[in-house]
Amino acid sequence: MILHNDRPEDLETPVKYFDSWITPIDAFFVRQHLPRPAAIDPAAFRVKINGLVTKALDLSVADLEKLPQHTVPATLECTGNGRAFYSPKVPGIQWGRGAVGNGEWRGPRLSDVLKAAGVDTRAKFLEIDGADNGVAQTPDFVRSMPMEKALHPATLLALTMNGESPQMHGFPVRLIVPGWDGTSWVKWVVRLTPTATMSGGFFMNPGYRYPKYPLTPGTPARLDELEVIEGMPVKSTLTAPEDGAKLPLAPTTIRGFAWAGENAIERVEVSTQGGQKWQPAQLSTQKLPFAWRLFTFTWTPKAPGYHTIMARAMDTAGNEQPILPPWNPSGYLWNGIDRIGVTVERP
Amino acid sequence: MRISILLLSAAAAWGADQAVLERGQKEEQRQCLACHSLRLIHSQRLSRAAWTRELDKMAGWGTKYTDREALLEYLVASFGDDKPLPQPSVSDDGRGKK
Repeated sequence: MILHNDRPEDLETPVKYFDSWITPIDAFFVRQHLPRPAAIDPAAFRVKINGLVTKALDLSVADLEKLPQHTVPATLECTGNGRAFYSPKVPGIQWGRGAVGNGEWRGPRLSDVLKAAGVDTRAKFLEIDGADNGVAQTPDFVRSMPMEKALHPATLLALTMNGESPQMHGFPVRLIVPGWDGTSWVKWVVRLTPTATMSGGFFMNPGYRYPKYPLTPGTPARLDELEVIEGMPVKSTLTAPEDGAKLPLAPTTIRGFAWAGENAIERVEVSTQGGQKWQPAQLSTQKLPFAWRLFTFTWTPKAPGYHTIMARAMDTAGNEQPILPPWNPSGYLWNGIDRIGVTVERP
Repeated sequence: MRISILLLSAAAAWGADQAVLERGQKEEQRQCLACHSLRLIHSQRLSRAAWTRELDKMAGWGTKYTDREALLEYLVASFGDDKPLPQPSVSDDGRGKK
């Protein structure tokens, strides 16, 4: 893994590990704002539900296991994935291509959990807190999401990821918000509180906000120019060959994956001529909202030398990847057309 | 004569800078390490204005600087936006697995 930070752990997946539709747990990226909670005993773990409910609850993992279980394949992407590609540089972990992964998440629907507590009709938002805590006066990681998304049938209180329950990735209980960026996927969920208005601390405001309109690169934003991020834009990532690779003068398989938040991927195109001409890539069969599709393209280089390979994706709603996404002060939501360079060696 | 005075002042200025940078590095160890590893800082390449905003943010989260100006000079001199990007650290995957 690419080690961005060791305390707390922030680990990026090298692109060479992205060769399967489901990303293995030990190759899955890790992003932490705060130190991980001390070892959790799943048997003693409880999720409190309070606030605008008719019956406050204190649920164990066993209670959650008794509710109907659902499986959702979904792509989890750190909101700052690709931050390193923005210019001018912005503060934050300098993620490249690998703060993203595709998992198979399983657990009860969040809507079933909330129904058990009887959510008041005045509740328009849900506040979610994880077991992690800040150091010194670092704010606690608390998020708030619209009740409509909380009640979406694909939104889960997951108990497993790819069939396991890894504490490193937020288990025994992790919120799964398919189609939305990783900030909403709260780890080690210990409290759910329906509220009338949006709440949460630093990690809702000013954290994880995006300009309402493009800003002049390098300039800070005023608070009233920012809004909460909900969702992920259409994006493709090249995973093979690796940037800077040396290749023989022979057919090569170009590979990658593409995803589009709440939409599915309609088309991916590849250019081996610096974007002068584009050709359709072959897509894997899964055409699902929330989850990525793998793509391949067989390329036979006609001449030795340096070649620029690019990929661009289009989703089922007609959105296309831009050449250059708008610069923003925190470097969120990078989805520029992906580009790598390879050298084809002389025979 | 004039040349030697210029040289002397340059050396003095350089010496002062070095001392400030060393103080800044000590301040980094005193203030930053309690909450996170230094890797998080050393991987950034930021302008003076951006580093200033980062120090303000950390002050808001409880950092009580004792030598803030030296820390800022050290960060700008070592991890400014004119500095080359660092090589990523990659783990030895699979090593130590049983």
